[in-house]
Amino acid sequence: MLAGIRVLELSSRETMLAGSILADLGADVIVVEPPGGADGRRLEPFLDGLPGLERSLTWQALNRNKRGMTLAIETPDGVALLRDLVQRFDVVIEATASGSAPSLADDLSLRPSSVHCTIRPFAQNGPKAGYLATDLVLMAASGALGMMGDPDRPPVPLPVPQGMMEAGAEAAIAVLASLAALDGDGTGQRADVNGRLAAMVGAFSTPVTISSGNPEGPRPAGGGSIAGVNMPTVYPCADGFVVATLAFGSAWGPMTNRLAAWVHEEGFITEELGLRDWAPLLSDLQEGRVGAAQLQGLVDGLSAMFATRSKDEIWREARERSLLVAPAMDMADVATSPQFLERGVWNELTWASRTIRIPARFAQFSNYSITTRRPAPMLSQHTNEILAGELSLSQDELQALFVHGVI
Amino acid sequence: MSAPLAGIRVLDLSWVMVGPFSARYLADLGADVVKVESSSRIDPLRTLGPFKDGIPGPERSVSYHNLNAGKRSITLDLKSEAGRAVALKLTAWADIVLESFTPRVLRNMRLAYDDLRTVRPDLIMVSTSIAGQTGPYASDLMGVGTMGAALSGATFLIGWPDRPPVGPFGPWTDEVTPRFIVSSLLAALHRRRRTGEGCYIDIAQAEAGMQFISPAAWEFTANGVIPQRQGSGSRLRCPFGSYPGADTDGWVVIDASGPAHWERLRALVGGGLLDSRYETLIGRLRHRQPLDAEVSRWTSQRSAQDNEHILQAAGVPAHAAVRAAALATDPDLRAAGHLQPIDDPVIGDAEIEGPRFAIAPSSLHPVRRGPLIGEHTYEVLRECAGLSDEDIASLGEAGAIA
Repeated sequence: MLAGIRVLELSSRETMLAGSILADLGADVIVVEPPGGADGRRLEPFLDGLPGLERSLTWQALNRNKRGMTLAIETPDGVALLRDLVQRFDVVIEATASGSAPSLADDLSLRPSSVHCTIRPFAQNGPKAGYLATDLVLMAASGALGMMGDPDRPPVPLPVPQGMMEAGAEAAIAVLASLAALDGDGTGQRADVNGRLAAMVGAFSTPVTISSGNPEGPRPAGGGSIAGVNMPTVYPCADGFVVATLAFGSAWGPMTNRLAAWVHEEGFITEELGLRDWAPLLSDLQEGRVGAAQLQGLVDGLSAMFATRSKDEIWREARERSLLVAPAMDMADVATSPQFLERGVWNELTWASRTIRIPARFAQFSNYSITTRRPAPMLSQHTNEILAGELSLSQDELQALFVHGVI
Repeated sequence: MSAPLAGIRVLDLSWVMVGPFSARYLADLGADVVKVESSSRIDPLRTLGPFKDGIPGPERSVSYHNLNAGKRSITLDLKSEAGRAVALKLTAWADIVLESFTPRVLRNMRLAYDDLRTVRPDLIMVSTSIAGQTGPYASDLMGVGTMGAALSGATFLIGWPDRPPVGPFGPWTDEVTPRFIVSSLLAALHRRRRTGEGCYIDIAQAEAGMQFISPAAWEFTANGVIPQRQGSGSRLRCPFGSYPGADTDGWVVIDASGPAHWERLRALVGGGLLDSRYETLIGRLRHRQPLDAEVSRWTSQRSAQDNEHILQAAGVPAHAAVRAAALATDPDLRAAGHLQPIDDPVIGDAEIEGPRFAIAPSSLHPVRRGPLIGEHTYEVLRECAGLSDEDIASLGEAGAIA
């Protein structure tokens, strides 16, 4: 879909997913790394658990379909080559280490009809512009991390860095929106992405809670509490965990009713709890038609029933009964789920002399397919081909750049 | 300079979060977004808080405004024959249709892509659902973002090794999926400008979620290892994680395992951190527990935010794990202009979030409030569906626009 669009990505952790989404959508993406390798190459997990510049699975996952080159952009030759190179691209993406750190766009004059996207962790002119930002810092600043984890222990992040995913996915949108403007009238665009604000999407309504006149609630521990009753989202089952959302009101109440009916059928709650209408729970509680003890009874019965059944059994029943219940899949479950297999989420990638199944297709299109054309570039894999092809450097010039550490 | 999607028309049939949030991106980018609602079965997001001043009501949800800002709303009964005819007229008007029903629903109403493209051959349409439109579980699978997170593998990974997972905050795939929807839509629009081709796009929330944790999936498919929960720390970094402040449930994250950051933290804290065991990374990893205890003792002396200020001033990556109250007064958000005022006929003054990026010289549309239920029914039926006053009156009598 983006055939013919040429993207130059100056690799940072935050640019990786942006370039990857654009490459998956058909753009020709070239990733530029320092001669010592991009930061993303030093992110775990590593192939067979052993580190190495060509072994990072995170790098592989987020740089497939790109070509790669090295360039020491802080050297005079690096700057000059980059200046010439950017003239040949439709899109340039970069990320800065802090809000106030200079952007290359300030130094490079881009082609007039191109898009330059800069990802900054914090607002460029705000009081946190000088903050040092790592992925964990972004997640803490987003408001999402502070809402995660058991309240008696420190907040827990996902074990896969998420700030870089949030910022990168947001940058893909910013680039494509800029391209839409460019398509409209041919005017080049500057896009500025705020990484913290991108990550804040994961805080849902937290940023507007206070200004709308509501108090800050306690950390919800993955669920919430109604009338003092802890309402978990995750429940242990016979062979793992399942997720069940007990929701009320006219929209979701019927699903809770169907779930309660099932728990009653299986003999884990009384008829009174199994067959009552749970939809108007909040008004029923207020007006004394139901008490916390009954709600607790429903949660306890549900927990007891799940404990006797496997993820697969629960999942099958949940689908048949249209319940807000699903297995908390581990990666082995995900990789073998017939749903994802049949839909063709997985592509095969040949890399490091083995064939690996990778979750490649984030969308299915009627007349386009996300393909896996090549593995992530090895360090400097395409430097010669790009500099010779794009900038007509001679073999002697390429060798000189290498001898002097520019590439 | 006009907004990037000025002139693009969107028919938003979606509910709750994923679809509406995707369409809000399009509205911010300047598209004319018409949201189809029903006053008998309202968008469930209108029943979710926070509500203005804590008072529930279908026109009082600030979350609704946050995800539907800048759209027009019409009420339309898609299940009625007359309502279906209007939906087809609006499809002919639209460039993009978005929907998030359980997969069988639009097919049953004969409003699926194959029906809609007969009136708009170059239509770009997105269907989003928990697990997609195809596959063995597709047709019956309904759900919410907590289920998307569970099916993507994310829920299992969040929490402590010695306890059940807690999962992410909120319906996680509702925040992840819109990024892939909007990117796919904008790419499809780009192609349509060049080739005239429309497109049908099927996005499963579980599959979008998998992209945000793809390294964990690779760990299984490449290494055969099933990734496990890690608590708040990292096997490869120290000090790294959440440390307690003096305030209630106040935590400051510190990420200072790199040599330069570590030396600054060590100089700032002094005391027990000067112990020679902590000189090297390997030493810090091997003595993680006493080291974390030393850092925690130091951070416990002041609030999470004071810790953040002192640490950042000393050049150590740190930030309070903020929640609602801290975000409400965060000067960085104010400087970024992120929280924007709206003035609504029902709830009066309120604040919602702005976009997360800026474009120049083109620009995003200034932030607007969300619509009341059916606020624009009449004007949309006239302008976009081309109906006369008589047509609209008879639709009203048939109960198709309630």
